[in-house]
Amino acid sequence: MTVQTEKDWKDIIHRCFRCGYCKFTHDYSDFNCPSYKKFRFETYSTGGRLWLAFGVINGDIEWSEGVANVLYACPTCGNCMENCRFDKFNFMLVDFIEAARAEANRQGFCPENQKFLLERTTNENYFNPYAEENSDNEELKKQYNLPDEAEWVYFIGCTSNYRQKDLRDATLRFLKKAGINFTLIDEHCCTSPLLRTGQLSPVTEFMNYNLQKIKEVGASKVITSCAGCYRTLKNDFAKHDAEHDLEIIHTSELIIQLLKEKKLKFTSEFNKTVTYHDPCHLGRHSGLYEEPREVYKQIPGLELVEMKRNRENAWCCGAGGGVKIGYPDWSIEISKERLEEAKETGATIVSSTCPFCRTNLSDANKAFNMGFEVLDLVEIIDQLDYEINE
Amino acid sequence: MHFPMNNEKILNDLEEIVGKDFASNREEELFIYSLDPGASLPRVVDFVVMPKSVEEVQKIVKLANKEGIPIVPMGGGLTLSGLVLPVHGGIVLDMKRMDNIIEINEMSKYALIEAGVTTGHLLSYLNENYPNLQPPVPDAPSAATVAGNVLIHGSGYLSQKYGDHGSMINGLEVVLPNGDICKVGSCALSDYWFTRGPIPDLIGLFTSSFGTLGIVTKLSVKLFHKPKFRDVVFGLATDFEDIPNILSKVTESGLAEDVLLGMQDKPDWMKGYIFVIVYVTGESEDEIDTNAKVLKKIYRKTNARYMKTPPRIREIYMEKPIFAATAADFRKGGGFEYVGAFLPIENLPKAFKGGAEISKRHGIIPTIGSRLIGQSHSAMAFFSYSFNRADPDDMKNAREALHETNLLALELGGIPWKAELAGQKLILDKMDPNYKKLFKTIRDTLDPNHIMNPGNWEVE
Ligand SMILES: Cc1cc2nc3c(=O)[nH]c(=O)nc-3n(C[C@H](O)[C@H](O)[C@H](O)COP(=O)(O)OP(=O)(O)OC[C@H]3O[C@@H](n4cnc5c(N)ncnc54)[C@H](O)[C@@H]3O)c2cc1C
Ligand code: SF4
Ligand code: SF4
Repeated sequence: MTVQTEKDWKDIIHRCFRCGYCKFTHDYSDFNCPSYKKFRFETYSTGGRLWLAFGVINGDIEWSEGVANVLYACPTCGNCMENCRFDKFNFMLVDFIEAARAEANRQGFCPENQKFLLERTTNENYFNPYAEENSDNEELKKQYNLPDEAEWVYFIGCTSNYRQKDLRDATLRFLKKAGINFTLIDEHCCTSPLLRTGQLSPVTEFMNYNLQKIKEVGASKVITSCAGCYRTLKNDFAKHDAEHDLEIIHTSELIIQLLKEKKLKFTSEFNKTVTYHDPCHLGRHSGLYEEPREVYKQIPGLELVEMKRNRENAWCCGAGGGVKIGYPDWSIEISKERLEEAKETGATIVSSTCPFCRTNLSDANKAFNMGFEVLDLVEIIDQLDYEINE
Repeated sequence: MHFPMNNEKILNDLEEIVGKDFASNREEELFIYSLDPGASLPRVVDFVVMPKSVEEVQKIVKLANKEGIPIVPMGGGLTLSGLVLPVHGGIVLDMKRMDNIIEINEMSKYALIEAGVTTGHLLSYLNENYPNLQPPVPDAPSAATVAGNVLIHGSGYLSQKYGDHGSMINGLEVVLPNGDICKVGSCALSDYWFTRGPIPDLIGLFTSSFGTLGIVTKLSVKLFHKPKFRDVVFGLATDFEDIPNILSKVTESGLAEDVLLGMQDKPDWMKGYIFVIVYVTGESEDEIDTNAKVLKKIYRKTNARYMKTPPRIREIYMEKPIFAATAADFRKGGGFEYVGAFLPIENLPKAFKGGAEISKRHGIIPTIGSRLIGQSHSAMAFFSYSFNRADPDDMKNAREALHETNLLALELGGIPWKAELAGQKLILDKMDPNYKKLFKTIRDTLDPNHIMNPGNWEVE
């Protein structure tokens, strides 16, 4: 079921009872909806957001900046989907919020900061939300000696390509060393930031452009180290008329497969204590919780310790859903809470599997002087010696 | 009546008290707080304010007195009966930022908490830190507050054994309508919030008075030993008339922690049965087995029969609290409201029959149940009406069914619980005039400006 079309979500949204299970972790030990925890008005709980949306649909309250602001003050973390007890519709809650944002956008109430995402992404010099000159990735292809046609495409994603180049390069080195037959495309934004902020006008075109490029190189598999691109390619393309039969793989999935098949063997140690932060896009939105953990556990010397809220109950890093650009201070406050939780574990490294989480956790780490090293899983592997056996 | 006021000035004053982020008269807040999840029509709200301390509550009350603005205290806002929707506008005081668990006394078994602590938070805190203790919590969603629940004579899985939750209050800190802070219970003179008496018992003033006599900022509630094992033993009855006898015999055995009755026409296999749901506890599995055997015998002797519990049903009923909110989606409509009514158990048969007729008249599938309170001293019977929130006529239909049910409960010598405005009026109409006069005298004395939740319990 998709809630793309007006009818779908407008017909279901009133079924939210505003009972508030969605505010909590599963065991009620803490509020786990970052928005409710921050603002504390019922308005900012999932139920509040859905009732507001139902209110405007019903004509009981008019669209306004204020209404839109409530809808947008949510990192679309998906905790509500996990903890709402109504299983006939809980899996659609974030879709409802995104659909309501799309409606807000149509009514002319998209907040100013989030509008930049669309402006930049549709700018023909950029095609990315960071307003960086578009890289066609030809340089990288040359540097890593990549073919024009291949079985796999490494979809770098805008955050890795323009903000977290170490993570990009670590992924490239790993794929190369692992002997994966892959190449790069002149990719445009996967559209995740636009989908999350309800700015849907160009998304189908962008998606089909990327699919076309992937097709041109003859690939059947797409690998990415970005949780956001992963979720979008895997779950969202089809909802927006961009059907495909590509296999979408997150790097952590490839690594664990190679380990299981004994094709990858670590030959050095990483003697540090690491705690893993579940990216919402990879965890709650895509169900990958154990794969990354299995990889950490198999790294010699690495001690993996869990934060109190983990897996389905992980506390969001606060970057997603347009919150980083829309509410920059609040966004790193959310990450600060995550780092404080990480402190309790005794870990010195906070690691994740998403460049956007990495960015926000690093920003908070710096801003609040938390003293961690923030590293992606692939960056940790990049520091290790390992053998690849065919 | 709507109080005229200079909204901007008052907002500034409120912001000064609680901080800019925690007072609002923005349309979006006013809209959300003008509605609750039950079947009530929306009511006007002028401000939503979220205090963090008793001093802030005090200042808000003093301001409200000066300006003549009504105040409605709110916890989770989950009674369903519109109790936190202002009748005459004014301030909704959302208490949930006052969320500290101040003390757990293991020996005297009580929790001293602020008024905004949710039932979920207290339950989880005890599970983690004091696994041998359990709190009185309802089957309401865990976003409900402990204060909101005990202050309305709530009930839960410990009520059959130990009484309704109102009786589990050891002490309160209350901001009175004039802004004074008053402590009631042993805390009035002792550092231990361990008992209600033996002094003139004023705690009752603040229970089921729906915030008309003061705003509770702290409370001590009793905690209870948590037995190591717990299980549920289902019985099936087919004749309403057998219910009082079954319940008496079950409670006389002294084995039941919690006793529920349930009657539902859907799914089909449930039709025609009254489910007797008894929880037994023990310190060993053997003890549970022995207790379960005794219960089975009681079922046999009382014209009921034992039902082996299918694992899926067992899982539903073993959850603590039970996910009762599931009723909200029965009609795919996001809403239900129920009349809860305290009834003498001998009248349960008539209540169940009458409730089923009301449901049928209103085209709603009968969903009726009951929870024993205090060893069968009373039963809280619930008559639940699901509705479709997107259909105003369906909501109206539910309101009418609720009203008829209130009348039925009163007719059977019962008292509607957490009654909505119309239900309160029915209760007052039937009440001893001197009870009403006493209540009015107390209220007028404490709250001469009539700012505390006006419109509720309004004695003419
Ligand atoms: C699905 C479902 C199941 C339920 N099951 C049960 C059950 O098993 N047992 C049960 O007892 N109830 C049950 N309820 C009813 C109700 O939700 C609970 O009793 C709940 O605990 C009420 O708490 P609240 O915080 O939501 O109170 P609110 O609705 O916020 O407030 C209740 C009343 O208390 C007043 N009040 C709140 N806080 C204060 C304060 N600090 N000072 C003064 N007055 C205050 C309010 O003005 C209002 O009049 C259920 C409700 C639902 C929706
Ligand atoms: S989203 Fe689900 S849990 Fe949250 S208020 Fe709505 S129905 Fe309740
Ligand atoms: S997605 Fe996250 S922040 Fe948004 S409403 Fe749901 S739980 Fe709250």
